[in-house]
Amino acid sequence: MNILAISINHRTAPIELREALHLSSDEIKSLIHHAKEELFSEGLIISTCNRTELYGIPKDQKLDVLDIQNFIFNFKNNNDVKPENFQTFASTEAIRHLFRLISGIDSLLIGDNQIYHQVKEGFQTSEEMQFAGVLMKRIFDAATKMGKRAISETEISEGAVTVSYAAVQLIEKIFSNLSKKTALIIGAGESGELAAKHLKDRGIGRLVITNRTLERAERIARALDSETIFFDTFKEKLHEFDIILSATSSDNLILTKDDIKKAMKNRNYSSMVLMDISIPRDIDPAAREIDYVFYHDIDSLNIIVEQNLSKRKFEVPRVEKIINEEIDAFISWYNSLEVAPTIKDLRDHFESIRADEVGKNKNRFSSEDQEKVEIITKRIINKILHQPTVELKKINELGTSPEETAVKVSILRDIFGINDKHEEQKE
Amino acid sequence: MSSTIIFLNILLPILYSCTFSIYTYDFWKGGKRFTNSKRVFLFLTLLLHLVYLLYRTVFFNHPPITNVFEIFTILAFSISFSYFILELVTDIRGTGPFIIIISIIFQIISSLFIKETPIVKDILRSNLLGIHVFSALVGYSGITVSAVYGFLYLTLYKDIKLNKFGLIFNRLPNLEVLETLSYYSAVIGFILLTCAIIIGIIWLPKAFPKIGFTDPKLIGTFTVWILYGIGILSKTFGKWRGKKVVFFSIIGFVIAILSTMFTNFLSTSFHSFY
Repeated sequence: MNILAISINHRTAPIELREALHLSSDEIKSLIHHAKEELFSEGLIISTCNRTELYGIPKDQKLDVLDIQNFIFNFKNNNDVKPENFQTFASTEAIRHLFRLISGIDSLLIGDNQIYHQVKEGFQTSEEMQFAGVLMKRIFDAATKMGKRAISETEISEGAVTVSYAAVQLIEKIFSNLSKKTALIIGAGESGELAAKHLKDRGIGRLVITNRTLERAERIARALDSETIFFDTFKEKLHEFDIILSATSSDNLILTKDDIKKAMKNRNYSSMVLMDISIPRDIDPAAREIDYVFYHDIDSLNIIVEQNLSKRKFEVPRVEKIINEEIDAFISWYNSLEVAPTIKDLRDHFESIRADEVGKNKNRFSSEDQEKVEIITKRIINKILHQPTVELKKINELGTSPEETAVKVSILRDIFGINDKHEEQKE
Repeated sequence: MSSTIIFLNILLPILYSCTFSIYTYDFWKGGKRFTNSKRVFLFLTLLLHLVYLLYRTVFFNHPPITNVFEIFTILAFSISFSYFILELVTDIRGTGPFIIIISIIFQIISSLFIKETPIVKDILRSNLLGIHVFSALVGYSGITVSAVYGFLYLTLYKDIKLNKFGLIFNRLPNLEVLETLSYYSAVIGFILLTCAIIIGIIWLPKAFPKIGFTDPKLIGTFTVWILYGIGILSKTFGKWRGKKVVFFSIIGFVIAILSTMFTNFLSTSFHSFY
């Protein structure tokens, strides 16, 4: 199968180069427009913060990966990225790479299922731009099936692999029902916002955000339907919170052991979780000595992240096995698109319908007539199939590209439902 | 002795061990492979155990409460049965190994030493005594399960505090759930123990007109009852929580065990019928 792919990603290029080739959604659409004219009959473009990838079925058999690289260099008007910053794939390997990508095993964070949605969006854009034909649609179906299998049959996406999500996982090991808990987020930076989002997603009962610059806290609070509290006075209400997550860039401690001690006394020593995900730390680590105070900093959360990443790495061979199975299934489908087996399948299909109907109505005819019915119905089938058979043979003889033949054959197989039958028989 | 009884007596420790192995494997591996089958296995083990207890009752014409090893087999059954009900109600399936192992210990001791009681005292045929013993044993099972959950709470509490994120952290339910499980098991144990004590108070003077209330078994049971009473009331009215309540539960369990051992093996008590 003549499919080509190029990929610039976290393994092949530093962030500056990846940024240089990053494509916005408008740029993707524009690039698809040009690619349709110049390079591919069908294709897919994916661009995330960690990678930019192009997949396509070349219009010209002579097209190679260097042409595709030059195409994107010209589009982005960039001379810094070199060919060695790309991974290149052809034929089955291109499909294997896409499957690895959608399953998350090629991601910077192994098992990250965000990529699944990003690939899906890429396919949707291709479809909208009429850049996804029969082959790309089939590849997309196989890829999404593969991605779903990887998630449901393995533990490749299990456990937290980011510090802010690990903090939430740890909190859930202490409290059973977050909807009855109150959380305070100190700091409205990226980490604080992410942790606040995770807590909101897990159904936290009350979420309060505080920040030196109140406007930033209010922006997040508005987005997450939560409250804000003045930074100067939040310590007075510390006892109201079951969870305190601090993520500021302060150089000094924000909460001392005495602050926590006082809060614990005021809340009758009901459990309190302190998550300090800032460097340098905001909360005095000595607070962990207080009974029912669960203090954790970035180091302890990293232990959870590392453990989960190792578990995910352990799952990679199982995902690879699923990838191999799905590639085999795809290749078997693709091979069925050749002309000779299709003619045979088409004839078998019609013959089975004929035999079935004759069998059902056999008793309506006398034994002498039964033989005649057999001959007549066979003749009808032969006549119906004569023209399609001639046309199929012509496709083969005219020397069209294998991809073009595959598309035509695929349409024919879809019309007569031969694919479904083939798959049913396989199952 | 009936060959069926002998066969079941040998089979039960094996079945409990198999159930324990499946639960332990699942706990260790953390997979979902035996999620449902381990529950079915526990159910079948309990069903066979119930058949064994009923068969013994019918065959020997008295409930299996005439010697300490008969009591042990009932304890083994009621502890696992309490866990089974708890698992069904809460759908928390990861704590089985810690409770089923206690049933294994009681059942193995029972299977090794159980014998037919040649002469059964009339007192052991009393219906009130039957209810008294049954409620006391289920009460003690509740206390045992509560202590196990209390122990698991303390282990997880310590692990989280010390940043140990191993098997216990990954497999056990969260601290609040463990505390709740320990508390409810203790409440059920306390209620049944209260019933056993009330029946005992009604029945004792009739059965033993000259009974002294300084009997070690009575003192032990009352101490356990008072400890649990204090713990449950303090928790219910929100004064105590977490470690404090759990400590009380574990201390209550230890006193209950020591009192039972002392009464049955070391001292002379009116509770020692055999």
